Amino acid sequence: MRSPPIPEMATQEVQLNETLAHLKTESDNLKSKLEEERAKLHDVELHQVAEKVEGLGQFVMKTRRTLKGHGNKVLCMDWCKDKRRIVSSSQDGKVIVWDAFTTNKEHAVTMPCTWVMACAYAPSGCAVACGGLDNKCSVYPLSLDKNENLAAKKKSVAMHTNYLSACSFTNSDMQILTSSGDGTCALWDVESGQLLQSFHGHAADVLCLDLAPSETGNTFVSGGCDKKANVWDMRSGQCIQSFETHESDINSVRYYPSGDAFASGSDDATCRLYDLRADREVAIYSKESIIFGVSSVDFSLSGRLLFGGYNDYTINVWDVLKGTRVSILFGHENRVSTLRVSPDGTAFCTGSWDHTLRIWA
Amino acid sequence: MSNNMAKIADARKTVEQLKLEVNIERMMISKAAADLMTYCEAHAKEDPLVTPLASENPFREKKIFCVII
Repeated sequence: MRSPPIPEMATQEVQLNETLAHLKTESDNLKSKLEEERAKLHDVELHQVAEKVEGLGQFVMKTRRTLKGHGNKVLCMDWCKDKRRIVSSSQDGKVIVWDAFTTNKEHAVTMPCTWVMACAYAPSGCAVACGGLDNKCSVYPLSLDKNENLAAKKKSVAMHTNYLSACSFTNSDMQILTSSGDGTCALWDVESGQLLQSFHGHAADVLCLDLAPSETGNTFVSGGCDKKANVWDMRSGQCIQSFETHESDINSVRYYPSGDAFASGSDDATCRLYDLRADREVAIYSKESIIFGVSSVDFSLSGRLLFGGYNDYTINVWDVLKGTRVSILFGHENRVSTLRVSPDGTAFCTGSWDHTLRIWA
Repeated sequence: MSNNMAKIADARKTVEQLKLEVNIERMMISKAAADLMTYCEAHAKEDPLVTPLASENPFREKKIFCVII
């Protein structure tokens, strides 16, 4: 038998509900205010300002190298600072280090899990980090001795409560930034495995992250299944800016080379450009004919070109300033899952569900 | 009741976060766009994919690389 609620409790309950309703109203008002403030800056469109910029010439970009060796879908790749080595990871659990000039495989590691969704090269070129369905990010020092078993020296650094979606070393080999299906990002000390800072704010899986260029300071951007792109202060863990204009999951985020803006690619088949100082979206890169999601984006060295890898197997090349597509590249026989421009901008590499990687220039 | 307390704590955090985001300094798009353009133009010549110099792009070179270990 349930006794009737004590009058005190009932009153408290009502008060709590009132507080909640009041906070919701305040929250809604602030969101409107945010939109208002952002709208005030909308005096012109980027492509209008860019009308006076010279158009780009004809583009002749094609596959210059094909890296074959993975036994299943390639999920992620990263360039080494030496501009020729590449690390890639695959659904079959393998992580391979390649020399992109010669297409030779230099190292191979078999992870204890399948779906290695994230991999990154250390700034020194002496180690790689990777992880995926194991919910961890592990660091493997790369040995000069080809016969040495890399797995033996493996160091477990990050621990999430769901899959690892992306990882990146910061300016040194000492710290790693991770994002996860558990909805958080985190900064870790590689040596001790200690959690240095965690970043809470996404309402669903975080799928991607990118660190601001070092000159710009200690921030990074993340994108997630909640359709939001968040900019974070690495030291305080605070979310500084948040953008919610995409209509579906954000699969990839990448800073513009000056650090003043970032691009995103989404399942809504668009790429978008957000300017951090204007605090708003300033361009959408889309076409009615493009209906498949964008898996990954990256800028050319000057920021003039934006390369997008799509789920319809193609790469679309966009004029960042004018908002138009300058080229469409064919070659992969399945989804393009990952795309990065080389450190000196001479080429970009794509990885695909067709098991291969391609170098384009 | 404790569920409501948790919701209130979350709602308070959301309100504080939004206050921070509303109050940041912003720039007009015309100025921000001009800066993006300036950066692109300043770096266009060094961008190998915008200003291709086939002679200097290692991936476009026809000769085969021989690495002697």
